[in-house]
Amino acid sequence: MIGLYIILVKHNLIKVIVGLGILDTGVNLFLISVGYITKGTAPIFSGPGIDSKHMVDPVPQALVLTAIVIGVAVLALALSLAIRLHQHYGTLNLRKIREQRW
Amino acid sequence: MVNPVLLIAVPLGLAFAIPLFALFWKDAAKYIPPVALAFNLVVSLLLLPKVFENPVIVSIGGWQPPFCINLVAGPVGVLFSAIIALVGLLVSIYALDYIKEGATEKYHILYLLLLTGATGVVLTGDVFNLFVFFEILCISSYALVAYLRDKSGIESAVKYLIQGAAGSSLLLIGIGLLYGQFGTLNMADIAEKITSASPISLFVPMVLLITGLGVEAAIFPLNAWLPDAHSSAPSSISAILSGIAIEVGLYAVARVIFTIFGASGILLFLAFLGIVTLLIGEMCAFSQNNIKRMLAYSSIGQIGLILFALAIATSYGVTGGLFQLISHTLGKALLFLAAGYMIYQTGSLQISALEGMGKKMPLTCLAFTIGVFSLVGLPPFIGFPSKFLIVRAALATKETIFIVLTGLALLGTVIEGAYFFRVVQVLYFKGGKINPVRKEAPVAALIPMFIFVLLIVVVGIYPKLVTDVLNSAASEFLSRTEYIEAVLGSIL
Repeated sequence: MIGLYIILVKHNLIKVIVGLGILDTGVNLFLISVGYITKGTAPIFSGPGIDSKHMVDPVPQALVLTAIVIGVAVLALALSLAIRLHQHYGTLNLRKIREQRW
Repeated sequence: MVNPVLLIAVPLGLAFAIPLFALFWKDAAKYIPPVALAFNLVVSLLLLPKVFENPVIVSIGGWQPPFCINLVAGPVGVLFSAIIALVGLLVSIYALDYIKEGATEKYHILYLLLLTGATGVVLTGDVFNLFVFFEILCISSYALVAYLRDKSGIESAVKYLIQGAAGSSLLLIGIGLLYGQFGTLNMADIAEKITSASPISLFVPMVLLITGLGVEAAIFPLNAWLPDAHSSAPSSISAILSGIAIEVGLYAVARVIFTIFGASGILLFLAFLGIVTLLIGEMCAFSQNNIKRMLAYSSIGQIGLILFALAIATSYGVTGGLFQLISHTLGKALLFLAAGYMIYQTGSLQISALEGMGKKMPLTCLAFTIGVFSLVGLPPFIGFPSKFLIVRAALATKETIFIVLTGLALLGTVIEGAYFFRVVQVLYFKGGKINPVRKEAPVAALIPMFIFVLLIVVVGIYPKLVTDVLNSAASEFLSRTEYIEAVLGSIL
């Protein structure tokens, strides 16, 4: 939620992108916490005596892995667009970039 | 038996094979998308008669639903994938000649990826997969909006990206909440278990999902990115964004509301949102001088109308909504394609610069005019039966509120007619003094345009051709139990 706040409030594009990153991380942490069991083990039958009751849920972990990859792609694209924007306007302040209006 | 997985696998594979082919033959890049999409169209049409009897369920990885990742090719999914393939094919033929500058290889890769994402969204039966395909669609469209690398393109791509990324994070939180409650990601499984959950705990994930998907579907007030993105992208991309991307967003919203939540309390609210979206879109379009921005705002208006029709949630209403969706896809894609070459000729986006184009580019202007007539809803074209169905459905509910809203929708249509006819008037009846030098768009652009015109006219005269398909598609949306049984039937 801090990320969302940053996206809404900040004027500097780089800060907005950092906000996106924080938002992503927050969502990922939330997803992990959905499947977490206190004192759980990794969901692998690696040795005898490991009971499936104490395993953390593997599905959210798979989701987070996918979400991280997608987040990286979005951030990379956002940063490359930021570079282009800077080349065109010489500034990253979103308040000053207002070509498109109603 | 054709496997629906091919609909996703073939374009995806070919998209990444493009650079490889281009090593040997430079022009290969631009011929691969038409080939892949023609394949998709054929497969979808082959599947179409089969899915009427039984939806085809494909489980990937050899597990039974609900534990596997599955594809559900029901009437809705296959219908949408056929439309996506058809429009994609025609636009890719158009792009053979239209896309000349910049990194053309990358354009074609991203284009094919966008359509793969769209096909994936309509075929998947799993909420997380929905998110993944949605991201494929979104990320490639962010990049395509910025394709021309000019000032406005980059700026609108940044706007689009920030809003889209925030929207998909909300979508992901919603999915996480659903998983936390039900321990499954399969749509049918969630839909089955959802009846046992308390309504309040469902409200938050539902709002999050609708907001996340609504960003892409450009439902008011989440539509700030759309006019910028559509007007500064290359025209072929505007056609795809306007004709496919937002429709796929709407499909996802409808799927979430009807199939997963089976919600009825929120429908009236959505009908209101639809009408507000419609009126705001049309009024903004009315005040535009830039032709592509005008078309973009008119897309927002049409989205509002479709949302309204879906929110009526009777069999007629949903059929009308889907019909309107098809007519908007065909009409708006045609308008953007035709406008693309008119802009190319005049070098200006202003409507006033188009004076006398009716004499310079008669065929392109004819196509444009037919697109306009169809969108406004004049009788011989496809826009008429679709709007007629919506109005009839709204009146059939016999509820005062829907009748009032229909009146507002018709007001929106009148505004739409006003600004579209203004353009037609500029095209044909102004600037008579300019000596008419005929200079048409190239053949590769005229062929897809006239296929669109043909479809618009033929379906407009014989709406029976599609209404049967649409009826069964609408019943898939409305009957959740059948959907659940079809997917989970093998284990129940």
